[in-house]
Amino acid sequence: MQAAGRVLDAGLKLLDRQLIDSQGMLAGKVDDLELTPSEDDPKVLYVTAILAGPGALAGRLGGRLGHLLERVSNRLRDTAEDRPARVPFGVVKRIGSAVDLWVAKEHLETDRVEQWARQTIIAKLPGAGDAPQ
Amino acid sequence: MRLSELLGCEVVDERGRSAGKVHDVRMVQDGPPIGQFGASLRLIGLIVGRHAIGARFGYDRGAMKGPWLLRQLAGSGSRSGRYVDWELVRSVDPAGARIEIAGSVDDLSPPEPMP
Repeated sequence: MQAAGRVLDAGLKLLDRQLIDSQGMLAGKVDDLELTPSEDDPKVLYVTAILAGPGALAGRLGGRLGHLLERVSNRLRDTAEDRPARVPFGVVKRIGSAVDLWVAKEHLETDRVEQWARQTIIAKLPGAGDAPQ
Repeated sequence: MRLSELLGCEVVDERGRSAGKVHDVRMVQDGPPIGQFGASLRLIGLIVGRHAIGARFGYDRGAMKGPWLLRQLAGSGSRSGRYVDWELVRSVDPAGARIEIAGSVDDLSPPEPMP
């Protein structure tokens, strides 16, 4: 089939790229991509989400380490679903040396582990309340 | 399906001959609109070959010329990359890390260089 739009190689141009949110803050990395079959033709696959964080990286690592990482990541996210944190591809603004997003990181699932660490560990450290934002 | 389930899979033709492993996946932005991104990315082909390190740096795709030292380290074999049109794919078995394609590996061409 003749390609009419922009062509890119996902491994070279997307994987491991930094995610930058709408405020210019780091929001994780592209660890994997979710491919979803077309409703009209199941053989046609579209990229529907970026998978990020330890749970997504676990899939690329494989083996026992990957399995352990995925379990820990799923426990930390506040959801019953066993899947990595996903960033819908519809919020991607631009693909360049980094992947810019239209939304703030607070609205992303990728921020859950950081929030958990901030509230459960860092906030309890002596002097944490005085730390500048 | 995840992209990582395709990467690393061995690609074999109708006669069971290997074309190498999947090093990358080529996409085109011509799918149905998705949110604010615009047209979605559609999978159109696989970059396969036997030299993963060269492929990781893009040396299996013609436009990549330098740096000279890295190119030498990647090896002349990194030019052995082949492109598999997604329409040739007959089955994907992520558990067995195997992708079967129609036709012969001899008919596969090198991937076109990226613009």
